[in-house]
Amino acid sequence: MQIGKYNFPDDLYYDKGHNWARVEEDGTVVQGLSGFAQDIAGEILYAETPRKGRTLEQGKPFMSMESGKWVGRVEATVSGEVVDANENLEWESNLINKDPYGEGWLVKIAASDLEADLARLMRTTDPEFEPFMKDEMSKYGK
Amino acid sequence: MNVYDLGHVPWLDSQLLYHALPRVGEAGLILLAPATPYVCIGYHQDAAQEVDLNFCREQGIPVFRRGVGGGAVYLDGQQLFYQLVLPLEHPAAQGDKETIYRRLLAPVVRTYQAIGIPAEYKPINDIVAGGRKISGNGAGEIAGHLVLVGNLILDFDHAMMSRVLRVPDEKFRDKLFKTLSENLTTIRRELGHVPPEDELKAVLVREFESVLGPLQPAELPAEVRAKARELELRMTGADWLMRRGKRSRERGVKVQAGVNVIERAHKAPGGLIRAVLVVREGRIVDADLSGDFFFYPAEKLADLQQALAGLHPEDAEAAIAEFYAAHAIESPGVTPADFAQVLQVPA
Repeated sequence: MQIGKYNFPDDLYYDKGHNWARVEEDGTVVQGLSGFAQDIAGEILYAETPRKGRTLEQGKPFMSMESGKWVGRVEATVSGEVVDANENLEWESNLINKDPYGEGWLVKIAASDLEADLARLMRTTDPEFEPFMKDEMSKYGK
Repeated sequence: MNVYDLGHVPWLDSQLLYHALPRVGEAGLILLAPATPYVCIGYHQDAAQEVDLNFCREQGIPVFRRGVGGGAVYLDGQQLFYQLVLPLEHPAAQGDKETIYRRLLAPVVRTYQAIGIPAEYKPINDIVAGGRKISGNGAGEIAGHLVLVGNLILDFDHAMMSRVLRVPDEKFRDKLFKTLSENLTTIRRELGHVPPEDELKAVLVREFESVLGPLQPAELPAEVRAKARELELRMTGADWLMRRGKRSRERGVKVQAGVNVIERAHKAPGGLIRAVLVVREGRIVDADLSGDFFFYPAEKLADLQQALAGLHPEDAEAAIAEFYAAHAIESPGVTPADFAQVLQVPA
């Protein structure tokens, strides 16, 4: 779905913190920052990814990133265990800006309660999605 | 909202209290200064890479990692800190980063203006007077709150700032000191004197009230101090200070937005070229070239360095080639393109 200048791929789930989640064939969840989120963040100078094996709780911060001398926290889209983190971000954190839905992915999570967590996330087809995003864009003057 | 005017406090409290305030669910504005000097690094920095830890240890200068962004700084009692903690949903915390910085730094800009310094906001979070930085600021999200920390710089020890940072060599340090001195100013330098701190704080509070609404002077709650003592255990440990941070392939120090001192190296077939560069708004201000290459006539290397001043890096190769032709330069295995390579600094 295209809203304003931002693309929101329809196969993803979204939370209200502008993170996306994609369920892989093996049931793991890949999480990243939406195109809108990376735009309002500005150039991301550093992303501190979590260690593998760390337990995450949906909606709780688990990693941080810095842009404009501002440290922002990223919340988990689903509960579970970190099975992989994007190591390329250590040297090239602006991959998040360049390719937020691809090479700029953040972590891969083995979800512990996938169906319940997904039910609390939004799809582009949800009636609330577009009004929510338009409201957010207007808040940020986008 | 409350304002906590704490005066000069033990250096550790000058950091711990604003980390504690949001963790007990409180908002407020803290005004304070550290009683003794220390070095403070940004949340994502690598202490060993940024700070001369041996020097700091020998001099008894503590080093602390804060929970907000930005770079390594030398802090002392000649800087008056403002530490603003707002719930993320506070109206003044809405918008993108630049909007929030501009909004929340406006009271600081107006404080400088009120005492006769023509300060202005420079995106994304600097305040400058006459093009020179006069306030450093950083922000972070801590426990559901936006935390903005910054300072009014009454006076500054430029030499100590350039001493506490880890640099490749003394040549780099000299450039850093010179660039800092030229690009970081103070209230004393601008006015010739420093107004009484109480006067500065009164103006600052009044100006913050114009953005945040009335600020009530209050005692810092005991639970905030207790939380600070709890944080002290974690935030003074080696695990916290020495945790891995952002690693850089080249050494660089950002003096203010758009002004950087950078060391770069390039391995040419004829030898290693090393450059210590001062870059301002994308232009080379100063270039110091060295290495183990041959360059004839040797005395012309200084002239080449001078010829680079004012250039955009992308124009460097043509300028160097012209210099080679004009002065019949010979440098086996090192071409103008090799020199240009070492000058390619990020915009």
